[in-house]
Amino acid sequence: MLVLIGLNHKTAPVEVRERMSVQEDALEDELNLLRALPGVEGVVVISTCNRVEIACSVQGDEAAGLIVARQAERARMERSELERHLYILRDGDVVRHLFRVASGLDSMIVGEPQIAGQVRQGYHAARATKTLDPLLHKLFEHTLRVAKKIRTETGIGEHAVSIPYAAVELARKIFGELEGLRVLLVGAGKIGELTAQHLKGHGLKEILVANRSPERARELASRFCGEVVPFESLRSELSRCDIVIASTASPTFVIGRDEVEESMDARRHRDLFLVDLSVPRNIDPEIAQVSGAYLYNIDDLKEIADSNKEIRLSKAAVAGTIVDREVETFLGRLATQEAIPTILELRERLEDLRAAELEKCLRKMGPISPEQRAAIEALSNGIINKVLHYPILRLKESAADNRPESGEVIRETIRKIFGLR
Amino acid sequence: MSPDWFLYITLTLYTLGTASALLAVIRRSPLLQKPALALMAAGLITHTIWIGSICVRTGHAPITNLPETASFIAWTILVIKLLLHFRYRIQGANFFIYPLVLILLVLSALIGESIEPLEPALRSRVFIGHLLLTNLGVAALLIAGGFTILYLIQEKAVREKRQSALSAWLPSLRACDQISYRALAVGFSIYTAGIFTGFIWSYMTPESASGPGAKEIGAFVAWLMFAALLQSHLSGNYRTRKNLVIAAVAFASILVSILGIQHA
Repeated sequence: MLVLIGLNHKTAPVEVRERMSVQEDALEDELNLLRALPGVEGVVVISTCNRVEIACSVQGDEAAGLIVARQAERARMERSELERHLYILRDGDVVRHLFRVASGLDSMIVGEPQIAGQVRQGYHAARATKTLDPLLHKLFEHTLRVAKKIRTETGIGEHAVSIPYAAVELARKIFGELEGLRVLLVGAGKIGELTAQHLKGHGLKEILVANRSPERARELASRFCGEVVPFESLRSELSRCDIVIASTASPTFVIGRDEVEESMDARRHRDLFLVDLSVPRNIDPEIAQVSGAYLYNIDDLKEIADSNKEIRLSKAAVAGTIVDREVETFLGRLATQEAIPTILELRERLEDLRAAELEKCLRKMGPISPEQRAAIEALSNGIINKVLHYPILRLKESAADNRPESGEVIRETIRKIFGLR
Repeated sequence: MSPDWFLYITLTLYTLGTASALLAVIRRSPLLQKPALALMAAGLITHTIWIGSICVRTGHAPITNLPETASFIAWTILVIKLLLHFRYRIQGANFFIYPLVLILLVLSALIGESIEPLEPALRSRVFIGHLLLTNLGVAALLIAGGFTILYLIQEKAVREKRQSALSAWLPSLRACDQISYRALAVGFSIYTAGIFTGFIWSYMTPESASGPGAKEIGAFVAWLMFAALLQSHLSGNYRTRKNLVIAAVAFASILVSILGIQHA
């Protein structure tokens, strides 16, 4: 049986999530501890800043309660208090939840790509700590496949939904590869820094930092492994760089039209991408008229991010249908696999029965011709096969039925009726 | 196997490759670009064999009449495209380059090749040189014109902060710019040399001179337009709407000049 106990940014405030989170160095111990609880056959823990998910393969009904009790103890909270924020899922719901989480459909920023990696990390940690059982192993392999499938088929992670990413996307549309480009970061606003960081993450190597305060400039420059540029020589630096990010608190324009026009000649009219993240604006909007200069302010970027969010939401709907299909496939496959041992045992049991009775009969009958013997074998085989026909059919049908409960009921019934283990 | 088979196989491969590339754009599925590239590359091989077979059968370089020229230009464009692909990893422009190649080859096939030896007047080295230079120049200029148009359309979209549906598929602005400029610079020089040798040849063989036809007028207009584009690149003022019109006219005139080819 599958059980999942968890909380996320929708069900718990950050104070509770903090207490529940499992740090990397504590993960192994927690996994072992949970695995040791009675009834728990396998456990995987996924802990990120927005969620904690504990997925277990269990026998019996007590295990879930024990896990909750353990988490309340670890988080140093009253159990009833913790339970207000937890969700407890079973079987098919666990599968659907995990598929959705790994695909980014449950994330704060729908379609974000990091969560799949975090799920993979949790899975690998459990594998290394040997707290995986075959069921969880199958489940997580399928989960990661579904996450990849959704990413590639819907392209859900593709369009930038945040301002810094929108700026990076634009830079790539203008320049292609970012390697070899130079960006000038003017000022120290948070979004500006984030944008420069993202650009760096996408291959851009050279970062120039200019700030009215030299210490601040040095601090930023060292953080980015960049170069400090004196604020006064902004004008001449313009001709050296390809991207300018402005986010200062200055009430007046820091970069004017003349400066850009002048620099255009010096830079042989190569494209210049200017990003104005400040309010009031730091970059003269007239610059947009200069041939080769592309100026985007914070409203423009926000518009792009917002319209991309719409796109993502519609893709999320498509992704949701894919998830539903995959859940059905997974459960169906699981049920069929669970039916197979029963089918084999049933066959084996009846075959033993047949062989034993046939022996008895042949001993009593004395010498008989080969044809007679063949006829008796055929008779016993035929009876056994006919008897088995309907039970095996029902077992297979209930497996294809995709409701694990009905499959389990039939299996249990058949085991009881035929005296199997 | 009659050599004509190579033409048909090439046409089939190019058609499938073009269809695949267009589908990749329509269905927004970059995976379809791979088979498109493979098909076009395979077609290029059979195309080369086809051109070679004409060369062997007619005994002269395969660039003397309209069908040969169209076929050769298509071939050159595809070669340049493949070089661009491996150098710049450009895939976005396939949706206009592949159809261009296909259309040129279809044109060539429709007009049909007449396998004849050249008239004596046309056999001079100067003439062959003229043909080679103009054909190579035309191929490069068609690419330059195409990429200039792509660049200007995209540039306008980025400047006006619109997101055009096509923009996800086009190569980056800078790549379009670099390619169009280099193709323009190289192509224009070669084309000018070609026109120049053309003048020399017609001077050397006055008996074959006839009044300016579509070919000459198209070439002249195209040359002027591309010269204007080149000039605007050098002056730094090339991101203008005017240039979009000039590039379109240049592109069209070159096609006209191809269609005006006669000889044989």
